[in-house]
Amino acid sequence: MARKVAIVEDDFDQRENYADALSQSGYEVATYSNRQDALIGMQKDMPDLAILDIMLEHEMDGGFDLCRDLRALSPTLPIIFLTARDTDIDRVSGLRLDAWDYLTKPLNMQFLSVRINSLFRIVDSLAKGSSVENDSDVLVIDALTIDEDSMSIKWQGQELSLTLTEFWLIESMARHPGHVKTYENMMQITRQSYVERNTINGYIRRIRNKFKEIDPEFKNIQTVFGVGYKWNTGE
Amino acid sequence: MKIRPNFSIRTKLLLVALLLLVIPYMSYIYVRDMKSFLLSGQEDALSLTSRAIATVLHDRPEFFTDNVDIDINRPLVDNEIYAYPLPNYINLNGDLSDWGEQAKQAKSYFPKTTLDTPESPTLSAIPDDQDLEIKHLLGYHGRFIYALFEVRDRFVIFRQTGFLRVNAADHIRVTLQDPAGQEKRYTLIASEPGRMSIYLMDSDWQYPITGEANNDLAAELSLTDQGYNVELRIPRFRLSSDTRIQMTVANVDDPVSLKLNSLVSTTPESDEDLSRVLVQAPEISKILAGLKRSDTRMWVIDKQKRPRAVVGNIITEAYVSPRDKPKPNDSYLDYAVDIVGYYYNIVLGKVFSYIVDRPVDAFNDYASSAEERNDQIIEQALAGKVSSDRRPSLDNQAMILMSAHPIFSGDETLGAVIVEQSTNQVLQRQQSVLENVISVTLLVLLTVVGAILLFASRLTLRIRRLRNATDNAIDRDGRIINQRLSADAKSGDEIGDLSRSVSDMLGRLSQYTKYLRGLPDTLAHEVSNPLNVVNSSLHNLSQEHPAVADSKYLDRATNGVNRIGAILRNLTEAANLEQAMQSETREVFDLVDLIENYVDGYSISNPDQKFEVIIHSRPLNVEAAPDYIAQVLDKLVDNAIDFAAPGTAIVFKVQRLDKFAQIDVINRGSILPEGMSERIFEPLVSLGRKDAQKSRLGMGLYVVKLIASFHGGDVVARNLSSADGVIFSFSLPLYNPDPMNF
Repeated sequence: MARKVAIVEDDFDQRENYADALSQSGYEVATYSNRQDALIGMQKDMPDLAILDIMLEHEMDGGFDLCRDLRALSPTLPIIFLTARDTDIDRVSGLRLDAWDYLTKPLNMQFLSVRINSLFRIVDSLAKGSSVENDSDVLVIDALTIDEDSMSIKWQGQELSLTLTEFWLIESMARHPGHVKTYENMMQITRQSYVERNTINGYIRRIRNKFKEIDPEFKNIQTVFGVGYKWNTGE
Repeated sequence: MKIRPNFSIRTKLLLVALLLLVIPYMSYIYVRDMKSFLLSGQEDALSLTSRAIATVLHDRPEFFTDNVDIDINRPLVDNEIYAYPLPNYINLNGDLSDWGEQAKQAKSYFPKTTLDTPESPTLSAIPDDQDLEIKHLLGYHGRFIYALFEVRDRFVIFRQTGFLRVNAADHIRVTLQDPAGQEKRYTLIASEPGRMSIYLMDSDWQYPITGEANNDLAAELSLTDQGYNVELRIPRFRLSSDTRIQMTVANVDDPVSLKLNSLVSTTPESDEDLSRVLVQAPEISKILAGLKRSDTRMWVIDKQKRPRAVVGNIITEAYVSPRDKPKPNDSYLDYAVDIVGYYYNIVLGKVFSYIVDRPVDAFNDYASSAEERNDQIIEQALAGKVSSDRRPSLDNQAMILMSAHPIFSGDETLGAVIVEQSTNQVLQRQQSVLENVISVTLLVLLTVVGAILLFASRLTLRIRRLRNATDNAIDRDGRIINQRLSADAKSGDEIGDLSRSVSDMLGRLSQYTKYLRGLPDTLAHEVSNPLNVVNSSLHNLSQEHPAVADSKYLDRATNGVNRIGAILRNLTEAANLEQAMQSETREVFDLVDLIENYVDGYSISNPDQKFEVIIHSRPLNVEAAPDYIAQVLDKLVDNAIDFAAPGTAIVFKVQRLDKFAQIDVINRGSILPEGMSERIFEPLVSLGRKDAQKSRLGMGLYVVKLIASFHGGDVVARNLSSADGVIFSFSLPLYNPDPMNF
């Protein structure tokens, strides 16, 4: 049975383009143009994943409000913000609402499919339950444990709450410890269309903060000025 | 714009305030006019007075004969002496001040001959008597006649105690003819300064008739530097209307022999007769007394210009005595006020003395007789004409107004009335008015000038404060720091208005700049949606028509979309950065390490680009967000590479300048056009591009500027002095672990 993806976007052209692309990828798509319709529609027919624009018609923060309402309906529903708003404040607000990812327009449609696939994989893996330990998919580097299946990362045994992009970035760095991931590499890894150094810096900053919440002495991600970042093992 | 040199507001207001000086000047003019008006009024009043007195005396020739048995038409003969009217009773105390101005009328007498008596054959033995001088005056007041002797005598000989003779010392001889016609001789002698003994003498002046001292007469002797003074009082009843009198000063100089040296008669020398004393007619005096005024002197003269009566005194009341310097008392405040008042008056007095003629306190108008003044108006009055005149007082200290009116008896002129008054009164009145006006004006002027000064200072202070606030509201880069000026924002006047409208202006300006700064963001946001449509459509197109997917046009379209996307990112970068920096945590690191790492890393990713790093000092610890510093380096290096001449190296120069670490990024190549070195850091200012594919929005250096000012540093660009390249200097404050020592 095809997975259901709900798209809430007030721009007809974009909405239909997303819908077409996702249908092509084999998803069942429901489209809504405003918050009220979306809420009513999704209450009736809960999707497996929701893609929300933030500005919806007249409501500047319609997407955030909708996200909050949907969270109330389903705490586990994967929600992706897809918006032209690119400020840190918006990003933080979105993620604070337990969105799974925050993407900015313009978006590469191929990346969108990849992302959705990944998210569904996480959903599946979560559904199977964390009791299932599949060693083949687990990468352990020192105190870092990366579970490829559930796309979860543990540091010193504690799980970090990460977005998909953050997971990919950590994973790419940790996979080759000591090797510099250049900004260009990392831009690819985020699977977004246009990423600049500041955005990468922002990601790394947030990632570091998340590690530091667990381990204030965390220093394993090193900045290589002018080039990128690398994962350091040990000292 | 050329600004005209000008005075400050304060100076201008002060200059305007100087116009107030017109007020005292006007008062001065006014008071001067008032003076002449008052003088003419005074003259009129005097003329009226003289006429009034004359009217009373018309047709009453008896006034001019009464009490005096002299023919009116008879001129003054030798053996008549004139007694001057005195202003008051005389205290017999040796003090001559109560004689008033009349004392000055005293006439001097000198010994004419020395006595040639058998008792003193050797005249040469006794001191020369040329030194002897006697000033004598006869006066009367009320019931008494007074005589004054001022004797200049080198050897004052008193009567020896126990020495009974009354002619063996300096003494005065007075001969009176009593009403019965009998002559009585008195000797006035003293054994010490003070009250003199008076003896009735025999006809030879040798022996007292009785040993008893006489009490009707009284005399007082007092010593002076030059000799002695004697004041003598004779009751008037001792003198008949036809009183005859003779007075002689007897001088003894030899203390051993006690010989009579000389006799000086102060009455006209006449062998057969005593002198007649002329006193003014009491009737006239009574009439005049009713008209007496303190500041007016009235004379009645007869045809011979002899004064028949004089009342009043020309000396005006004493001028207001200067204030005493106040003494400290309990209340300091009172004392301070007194002191200020005291000095204020002194200063004012000085000022007035330059402006107006001060009245003379006591000028000396000692006309010994009417004819001495030799005034025309007396002649005219006696000739039957009414006349008035002004003349200076005899000592030229003041102006005297005179008015004369003839007294008629039928067609004949009996005499004249002369009324005199000094202009002192008018002067004094004028002065007090002027003093009042000037002191009030001065006070007002001072107050007004002070108030204006205060007001102007406050005004300029407020304006200056407003100017400073306005200056500081916008920083060097044109960014609005303060939207609301606190200076004078609450005052209701024009400056407050100005402040508020500047605030208002700043508010609107800052809204506008906010809009301008938000514009790229808004624009990017608005463009990104349609761009997303194009992007997703291209994707769907390639999915739907696989043949299209290989088309080079699709590639180019995608490429174009990507470029638009890059531009959008660029546009929003600055705005995003400002937000992001707020939450950035700073750390302390060595800037030199960072630069070396950066150059190493950059060289790895761009092996073609040559770098040269010059380190002048290390370490240079700064407290900053290293990511942003790296970003600054990115931008500066990007910029340097863009403009570097091919094959040249980018030079990093790191040095310490005082409390700042400075990174110079130098590239050889084209130089900055004139005026661009400041503007280049403004958003959307670009110097053109080298690579058509690479977008240059001019946001990069703006971002550098943002990061620099966020960290308390600065960035400037300038051309190399060799004019073959550009140097960008980025400075950051050095980390100071103890900010208190900063």
